[in-house]
Amino acid sequence: MPLDTQSAIIEMQGISKRFGPVRALEEASLTIHRGRIHGLVGANGAGKSTIIKVLAGILRPDAGTIRIDGQEVTRLTPALVEKLGVHFIHQDRLLVPTATVAEAIFLRHEPRIGPFLNLRAMRRRSAELLKHYFDLDLPADALVQDLTTAQQKIVQITRALAQEAKVLVLDEPTAALVKREVDSLFRVLRRLRDDGISVIFISHYMQEIEEICDEVTVMRNGTDVGVVDPRQSGIDEIVAMMINRDMGEMYPARSVAIGAPVLEVQGLSRDGSFRNVSLTLRAGEIVGLTGLLGSGVKELVQCLFGLDRPDAGRVAIDGQEVALGSPVQAVGRRIALLPEDRRAHGVAMGLSIADNIALASMQRYAKGGLVSAAKEAAIVDGLIRDLSIKTPHRHNLVRNLSGGNQQKVAIAKWLSCQSRIYVLDEPTVAVDVGAKVEIYNLMNRLAAEGAAILLMSSELEELVGMCDRTLVIYRGELIDEFTRAEADTDSLLAAASGAARKTARETA
Amino acid sequence: MLNLSTPMPIEERLKAISNYAVIFALVVIVAGFAIAAPSFLTGANLYNLILNNVVMLAIVAIAMTIVVSSGGIDLSVGVSVDMASMAFIMLLKAGVFVGTALFAGIGAALVVGLINAILITRLRISPFLATLGILFIGQSVQKIASGGGKPVYLANAKFAPTFNAIVKSEVLGIPTPMLILAAIAIAVYVLLHKSVFGRYIRALGAQPGVAWYSGIRVPFHTSLVYIIAAGLCGVTGILLSSTVKSYVPLSGDGYLLDAIGACFIGTTISAQRRPSVLGTLIGVLLLAVTRNGLLLVGWNFYWQQVGIGLLVFAVLALSFGLRGRGH
Amino acid sequence: MTMTIAAETAAKPARARGALRRQGTLVLRLGALAMFALIMAWFAFTTRGFVSPANIFNVIEQTAVMGVLSFGMAVVLIGGGTDVQTGGIDLSIAANTGLCAAVYATLLAGGSGDLAAAAAAIGTGIAVGLLNAFAVVRLGILPLLATLAVMNIVAGLELTVTENQVIGANSTVTQLIATGRFLGLSVLAWIFILFSALMTWAIHYSRIGLRLYAVGGHPEAARAAGINVGAYVAGTYAFSGFCAGFAAILLVARLSASTTATGQLLLAILAAALLGTVFSRRFVPTAGGTILSTLFIGFLANGFQLSNVSYYWVNGVQGVLILMVVAVTTFAKPQGK
Repeated sequence: MPLDTQSAIIEMQGISKRFGPVRALEEASLTIHRGRIHGLVGANGAGKSTIIKVLAGILRPDAGTIRIDGQEVTRLTPALVEKLGVHFIHQDRLLVPTATVAEAIFLRHEPRIGPFLNLRAMRRRSAELLKHYFDLDLPADALVQDLTTAQQKIVQITRALAQEAKVLVLDEPTAALVKREVDSLFRVLRRLRDDGISVIFISHYMQEIEEICDEVTVMRNGTDVGVVDPRQSGIDEIVAMMINRDMGEMYPARSVAIGAPVLEVQGLSRDGSFRNVSLTLRAGEIVGLTGLLGSGVKELVQCLFGLDRPDAGRVAIDGQEVALGSPVQAVGRRIALLPEDRRAHGVAMGLSIADNIALASMQRYAKGGLVSAAKEAAIVDGLIRDLSIKTPHRHNLVRNLSGGNQQKVAIAKWLSCQSRIYVLDEPTVAVDVGAKVEIYNLMNRLAAEGAAILLMSSELEELVGMCDRTLVIYRGELIDEFTRAEADTDSLLAAASGAARKTARETA
Repeated sequence: MLNLSTPMPIEERLKAISNYAVIFALVVIVAGFAIAAPSFLTGANLYNLILNNVVMLAIVAIAMTIVVSSGGIDLSVGVSVDMASMAFIMLLKAGVFVGTALFAGIGAALVVGLINAILITRLRISPFLATLGILFIGQSVQKIASGGGKPVYLANAKFAPTFNAIVKSEVLGIPTPMLILAAIAIAVYVLLHKSVFGRYIRALGAQPGVAWYSGIRVPFHTSLVYIIAAGLCGVTGILLSSTVKSYVPLSGDGYLLDAIGACFIGTTISAQRRPSVLGTLIGVLLLAVTRNGLLLVGWNFYWQQVGIGLLVFAVLALSFGLRGRGH
Repeated sequence: MTMTIAAETAAKPARARGALRRQGTLVLRLGALAMFALIMAWFAFTTRGFVSPANIFNVIEQTAVMGVLSFGMAVVLIGGGTDVQTGGIDLSIAANTGLCAAVYATLLAGGSGDLAAAAAAIGTGIAVGLLNAFAVVRLGILPLLATLAVMNIVAGLELTVTENQVIGANSTVTQLIATGRFLGLSVLAWIFILFSALMTWAIHYSRIGLRLYAVGGHPEAARAAGINVGAYVAGTYAFSGFCAGFAAILLVARLSASTTATGQLLLAILAAALLGTVFSRRFVPTAGGTILSTLFIGFLANGFQLSNVSYYWVNGVQGVLILMVVAVTTFAKPQGK
């Protein structure tokens, strides 16, 4: 039977939603057709997540109509949406961490025999579903918390499929996945599409949007600004619609004289993680560091900040050998770490901006053990202005800032510390395009002021655009180094994946 | 993006009101008792109320406030009180010099704090369970040491001057225990709200991972929190045993629930629901005034307990209920 | 262009860590069991009469009350999450038992029928549980605080009912519970066994149990799955109230009276429920773990009694055990934070 891909399964029209004086959605529309993969893109704050929450029945719109499967729905609730066959795969992996795979898949749709759970059927069917859709042999008794992010994502999708979903809504599904896993996810999505299931695919990754989506709705300032076919329009056009800004400005140019070595690492090893890594970081230099998940990059960074101890090797700062046994010592040596997990390690959401910025350098704010309000006002307000952190007051909670501004607070903490060595671990994750550019500018400025920066990123573009040199770790070993001129995303990826490098040197 | 400077009328106003629920309750209760029991609002009654019901509980509650600020809890405050009391009285009885006995008493409490600190920072046991374990062990130790809970009385005249010097004396017309409380309250206020150490405590309470990643010596500061708290409880132990001129095993346990109650009632005056010295003192007053007032209007001990429970429940309900669900 | 990097080894570290932790928790669970066994063995060898069938059934009978209450607490911990500060906890359960026992004994002593008295006891328990539920779910008060306040109210009410006196009570039902035997086992032992079996079904083999674990493990995820989280949490408090009422009947029957010291059971109940989490690879309360740790605490007290060690030591040993078990648990758990 040919699929009727023209008829709409979801029609949202003229949706408006206000929060107090803030217009989150203004006459926004979204139409999803049967058996198609529909991309939803927009900068942070464009209204993507609001319209999705409206569809999920979490937020009630102030105005607008919603039709699902041709039927107008006035009072949408999460339970009703699910009953209508629309399933949401949340970004923050809404699975019970202490549940088993089988339990997570069948929660609230548990097979039973009389008053007893049919545990055997749960296990068998979940194994079958995982095998059928993902060709994955995941033990049904494994705990969700022991799974990788990708596996958890897969369990979530399997859960929706077990309930015969008609529409899957995937919010940033690839954010924590590696390429191979993304590929297999895409294979599954295409297969589901061919089975007549519709997919709403929300992503910041434009390349993925282009690769997987049949049509794309672009949102800006709370409304939809266009529906395009990504294969015809291309990434540049979509991004231009999103931000009204040219991509070329992303990575600001800079020219800085590179100075003396600041951080020298020699023969650093940690059993099971990385071996014999030597690197040098000079004043004014931005050095990239990349490697696959599990290559040892993360562990290397942990050692440089004293969170882990190396088994062998030496670290010297300004030519002097130092011990980095704990973050206390690292901070004392004016090393700064911008951690990847901002919520757990970067900023304390429940504290004020001032509290956060002053936290690592309290001695600057203190007079005889007490905090000087005047000093705090002077230093913190200076940094808020300097980094243009958007907030009415330094006493406002960090929780109420946007992701980009939270990240700026995390950076300001280290500026307040007058750190000299900055280790940045995925500094632009979950940060919108505008704030990204600001963070890049800030990195350049720091380097210009003589700081040494180690930039760890799995966004290869960022490395190519920002770094004077990029180091690649493969299976725990530093296998390659690219100068700014040599680096491009393809060769970095090849090196990180262990492919032999074809350079002029080798071919000669 | 939500803008914070623009108020959301009704919700925000309710939240603002919820911050004052406890103060409102205190005023209503004081007014109510003033009308119902003529002897309530007399100088003598209030003086006794503060001296006997407020001071000792307030010190323990302030100790609890420090711990709760750091994101922990101390269920062993009673043990610290009792250990101080036990060491103090037993050493006095053995004929040791008063000053030495005082220091030994506080020292005994500090040891309890140190053990808590080790369990929490070295063995990484959660504060609730670590201090619960110490509570159990402390009870056992006391029962063993006192032959099953027999009090040690020092009622003879020889010690009366010592005890009177501690709890019956006055400086500038103010009873010494009140001065001690005032000094402790001010010191802890400065410590928690004005000092660098206070910032670290707050960071620990908000997000310990961030504190560690900011180069703060987390184990050290956590240890200090529990040791200081235990030391303060030790002060209450000395005051208590000087008041009753004896060591009564397990008598410190009575402070635990009131101290937790006062501390958390106190959090309701802050928009962020953070513990504070001022809030805790209000919480202590609320509990003490109610107990005293109910006594004066003729409720027996049993109904007093019901009354206190209902009061605490009402304050919590008002505070949490008006604020809306979730955190 | 943005790119996510491929990795052949991507899944390995997480899996290896998971495996390591699984081994760690297995060692821990076996270790806890071994420790229990060791202490039992020590009593068996050093204490005359400890392993006699009479004594074992005696302990089981003595433990019936504690067992019911530990299950009440365990269910609250499951539904509210085991974070002791913000998670589920019912501090009022012991005081509630005291109140229910007072109501039950007073009614029996006043000549009420068995059924009416039992209904009143259980009704009282559930009413207190519903008050907790209202405070926690509707008003959003932290369980630790809400149940603390309720504990005070209930303890006060108990005192007003009993005037701090022991109230003697006797009826055909209490006689039956206290002295009845069936198939060679006492009625109390039967009640404990049947109650445990029922709870094992409810917690591990019913939809309710599975969903309750989800509610406690990750309320947002449970809500996203369409579970009425509030109703489940409220249900746990109502159930722990029911357990208080039920345990009160057993208690009064066993002692032929209500006692004034029931509130002191709280710490032992907490200890049993928390110790029980060690036997689970997810570190949550389980039926088996709750039964084991309750029995263990019962045997511990009994062993001390028989070996003429002063009962003053019992609390201390419980305290040390909690600390040991939890310290080991902490080390077996994943690091971080």
